[in-house]
Amino acid sequence: MISRTQRILFWAIVWFSIVILSVPTLIVVGASLTAGNIISFPPEGLSLKWYGEIAMARDLRGAFGRSIIVSLICLAVSVPVGTLAGLALTRFRLRFTNAIQVYLLLPFTIPLIGSGIGMMLVFGSWRILGNVWPVGVALAAINIPFIIWSVSSSAASLDGDLELAAANCGAGRVETFLHVTLPGVMPGVITGGLLMFVLAMTEFLVSLLLTDARTVTLPVQIYNNIRSIITPDLAAVSSVFVVIALFAVWLLDRLVGLEIFLKSK
Amino acid sequence: MDALEAALDMIWPRRLARYSGWAMIAPAILLVGILVLGLVQIAEGSLHTLDRSTFLPSEEYTLANYQTIIDSTTYWRVLWRSLLGAGLTVFFTLLLALPYSYIMVRTSSATIRKSLLVVLFLPFFIGQVVRAYGILIVLGTSGAVNDVLGLFGVEPLRLLFNFPAVVFGLVQYMLPFSVLLLAPALTAIPRETETAASSLGANWLQSFWHVVIPMAKPGLVGAGLVVGTLSLTDFAMPAMLGGGSQDFIANAIYDQFFRTADQGLGAALALLLVALGSVIAGVVIAIFGAGTLGMGGRK
Repeated sequence: MISRTQRILFWAIVWFSIVILSVPTLIVVGASLTAGNIISFPPEGLSLKWYGEIAMARDLRGAFGRSIIVSLICLAVSVPVGTLAGLALTRFRLRFTNAIQVYLLLPFTIPLIGSGIGMMLVFGSWRILGNVWPVGVALAAINIPFIIWSVSSSAASLDGDLELAAANCGAGRVETFLHVTLPGVMPGVITGGLLMFVLAMTEFLVSLLLTDARTVTLPVQIYNNIRSIITPDLAAVSSVFVVIALFAVWLLDRLVGLEIFLKSK
Repeated sequence: MDALEAALDMIWPRRLARYSGWAMIAPAILLVGILVLGLVQIAEGSLHTLDRSTFLPSEEYTLANYQTIIDSTTYWRVLWRSLLGAGLTVFFTLLLALPYSYIMVRTSSATIRKSLLVVLFLPFFIGQVVRAYGILIVLGTSGAVNDVLGLFGVEPLRLLFNFPAVVFGLVQYMLPFSVLLLAPALTAIPRETETAASSLGANWLQSFWHVVIPMAKPGLVGAGLVVGTLSLTDFAMPAMLGGGSQDFIANAIYDQFFRTADQGLGAALALLLVALGSVIAGVVIAIFGAGTLGMGGRK
């Protein structure tokens, strides 16, 4: 029952949104395939030479490796911490639940520049600034609500009687947890872990504040290089992020289905 | 398995079961505690002024940094620019996000819905730096937009490094967030309400204005506040698309720490921004409840 004018107007806005969301990405990928030395449209012939260049560039390879390490550390910290917290919030009747929820949302309510500067000061006074691993811990701290949310929404749909039944049948606490609770919330754990990994790969501001020339991660390296000059090798590095994002969207769709985000609560 | 059970009985005996929930949530509380500790350090730092003779923070406690900020016309201008930028971003983002969510929720084609979702999620996972880089290439003097304009004989325009470029970047950055916050609110509106409105003689504009928008109000307010705080405190878009002349508050804080090296003043600015952000977040939580994200929600 959508009238003609409404349909035309709304679709015009939707197409405009699609263009501004997608065209920059498409052009970055297109620019990375140029055979020339500067970014131009249309590209002067197609070539993969810039991908060869970035694979050879030591600084970019180093930054990419550190980004992977940081994301893995973020994953190693956030998956156990977030899973336990998500289960605690849904499985146990804690006192002050409301206050705890507000507290655990602090990573989203404190502006990132505040969190980043604060952690820079804290890590500085602990004398661990300048290492790569604290960046992973920091990214786990700022994104932890994502995995708590995905685990607790998974746990909320799990019947608590299953755990009681397992215990009743003689399963110990570890056995119940490993064979009943954990498999039950696995979709939430995997979705949360995926979000944590990809968001850590692409995180910029907190990484900028916590890294120096020796520990720089890939998004910060891209930012530093943009400052000087825009070249096709940067477009090629950026395309690596596009590929990661494509894979992440595909995986998220396979795991939970993107439509889940449209459901009303 | 028996060994594991025995080990658990050793370190966490069953009589402690009452506290199991607390034990499980403790790591998360500690992790977020790093951020709280950071705020404490910022607050402490903001109470020391920079000693210009030694370039070290002075020993005594003082509110002089806050006085400097209040007296400074520069920071008022930066604050005004950030607020204006955030306000415009909220307006334009919602203007685009409302029809987008509406079409996505109401379309009968699963393919269209899926495609619209993919278009949203892809930028979300690509990251801000790469997205800003894409905008730099598109809007540059020899970029795609100017190339297209050139076909019509228009001289290359300077589209970057000004205030509108920053707002455009922010709108592009915030669009996926706001659509994902709005869509559940629109899903909750039964299609029949609009049919009823139109059968009573309302045209689509009237039924949209008087039925859909009022019913989607919680979603609109929520999305607006989230987009507003995120753009108010953004660093990357003003830094990359503003070319140094369009600083927002976050950029001013960064400069105090890394360029001027007046950490006390930077800390005072950071704390004021956190306070501003918390007030807005407090309003969101007061209106929608802490369960906004569905954390621990019992359905």
